[in-house]
Amino acid sequence: MSTDYLLITIFLAIAIIFPLIPLAMAWGWARLFSPAKPGKDKQSAYECGIESTGPAQIQFQSHYYLYALVFLVFDVETVFLMPFAAAFLKLPFSAFLALMAFLLLLVEGLVWAWAKGILAWK
Amino acid sequence: MLTVLAPETLLVVTALVVLGLGVSVPKARSLITIATLLGGFLAAAALFVFPADGNFLHGMVVLDPLARIFKLVILGLGLVAVVFASDSFPETHFAESLALILFSTVGMMLLAGTEDLLMIFIALELTSIPLYILAAFAKESRSSAEAGLKYFLIGSVSAAFLLYGLSLIYGVAGSTNLPAISRLSGAPDPLLIAGIVLTLAGFAFKVAAVPFHLWAPDVYEGAPTAAAALIASGSKAAGIFILAKILTAGLGHWGGSAGWGQFLPGWAPALALMAAASVVLGNITALVQSNVKRLLAYSAISHGGYLLIGLSSAGTESLTAVLFYVVIYALTTAGAFGVVAIVEKQRGGSRLDDFDGLANSSPVLALCLLVFLISLAGIPPLAGFFGKFYLFTAALENPSLLWLVALAIAMNAVSLYYYLIVLKHAFVLPAPDAICSAGSPASRTLVVALALSVLALGLAPDLLLAPLVKQNTKHSALQMRTLQVSLSPSLLLPP
Repeated sequence: MSTDYLLITIFLAIAIIFPLIPLAMAWGWARLFSPAKPGKDKQSAYECGIESTGPAQIQFQSHYYLYALVFLVFDVETVFLMPFAAAFLKLPFSAFLALMAFLLLLVEGLVWAWAKGILAWK
Repeated sequence: MLTVLAPETLLVVTALVVLGLGVSVPKARSLITIATLLGGFLAAAALFVFPADGNFLHGMVVLDPLARIFKLVILGLGLVAVVFASDSFPETHFAESLALILFSTVGMMLLAGTEDLLMIFIALELTSIPLYILAAFAKESRSSAEAGLKYFLIGSVSAAFLLYGLSLIYGVAGSTNLPAISRLSGAPDPLLIAGIVLTLAGFAFKVAAVPFHLWAPDVYEGAPTAAAALIASGSKAAGIFILAKILTAGLGHWGGSAGWGQFLPGWAPALALMAAASVVLGNITALVQSNVKRLLAYSAISHGGYLLIGLSSAGTESLTAVLFYVVIYALTTAGAFGVVAIVEKQRGGSRLDDFDGLANSSPVLALCLLVFLISLAGIPPLAGFFGKFYLFTAALENPSLLWLVALAIAMNAVSLYYYLIVLKHAFVLPAPDAICSAGSPASRTLVVALALSVLALGLAPDLLLAPLVKQNTKHSALQMRTLQVSLSPSLLLPP
């Protein structure tokens, strides 16, 4: 019992030390041989995406949450439809009716959201 | 099986139809209200048409006459909120507000008809989530947004407490079924005690007992008045009913005792402490309120305390008294909020000054307010008097609880003062210049009907008490005591 945990501890120690060694070597190499020369081109996000403009802490539209909620309608639908579809042939007719009722509920949710104008982007 | 849930199913279908009406004929608000009420009446009829009592899906759905009484009461309170909604909810998204009231009512009805911890939790969430939305429904009003957010944040944290408590109880008992849990015996596991305490904390939030009451004043004040009425009446009645069921049907062995000098650990002393704190803090803090909705919130806290006194006494008769009192309290407070809703529409606010001269401008409304507040204070011949009297005498089944009952009666005397302040504003102080009559005829009629029912239940409490006593004693092996025996100590007359 205790030897099992000992093995795990040894593995853990090795797993931590092993990546630390090259990292420490790289850090030491950089300290010794490459002087710091920051510049405009050197600091740029070369091939790493678009240069950011303006501050990051700005207000942004939160209309997305409505789409997220409507998406949830279909998300939940899928979760329940998958097992139903997998066992479709073994299920009685009443299960089909129950699921159709469930789908109707979700469809009403979507129709309601549509009629309320939630799907129109403001 | 389907017929057992027929009332709830009908309500859900009604809510969906109402949502559909809301997008197809959004202007026809009275049509939407009538459709909602029609669905509600159909559901009420379904409660009686299908008398299939029994235990379904391993206790997930349980229907007995007691649950049926409570389902009917809760449904009635939901419909009361529907009628008041036309005066207090904003005109945009009106159908949605009615649908949410119906969804919440379905949750409360399911709560009244189950004996399973899982179902209790789901039904409680179904009750709460529409209520969070309803509290925040007046989107233009900052105080409504504040009310919704506070209710939601505190409510979700308390739901987490409750879920953790219920999961610990399940962990110890190995079952989520209340009768199965009650078969567990012997000394309580420390884990079980933790579970009981967390469960109590969750429900104490629901009934706004000190120290879990902080949401109540802000929510009652900020929420649209119909939403506040539903939170104060239906949600409270359902919460007390299911708490009583959990404590007696599931955790009956671990009650302990809250008696003076006879302390035994269990849920009773915890309830007694919360009750004492609620009664004192609720009544004292209500004295300095200048807003009537806030005042009613603190009064609700103190009434939660009275109800917990009955529960902590843990007798059969006190349980009946608690159920009786919570129905009466719910009817009275719903009526009081109805008056507030109409006055708010008339004068644009619910401060004490807004009630000045109400007796001159609308005498019937002022008279109804008098009935509700005097009933809340517990003055005969109104229902509140009999309810309190029965509650306190039944709690004294356990004579060592005298300390708690004496405290409650003393604090009840305090409560008379702040109820009378409201009435002074309504009856004595002169009216301001501009007065216009407001409030839909439906809600005015309903307020009068509620006042009459409070009066009727005060004069003939047997109307409601007889079925409650019958059902409650049928469940237990204890002999039914006649009322005459318990009514004899006349020194306990509340002021």
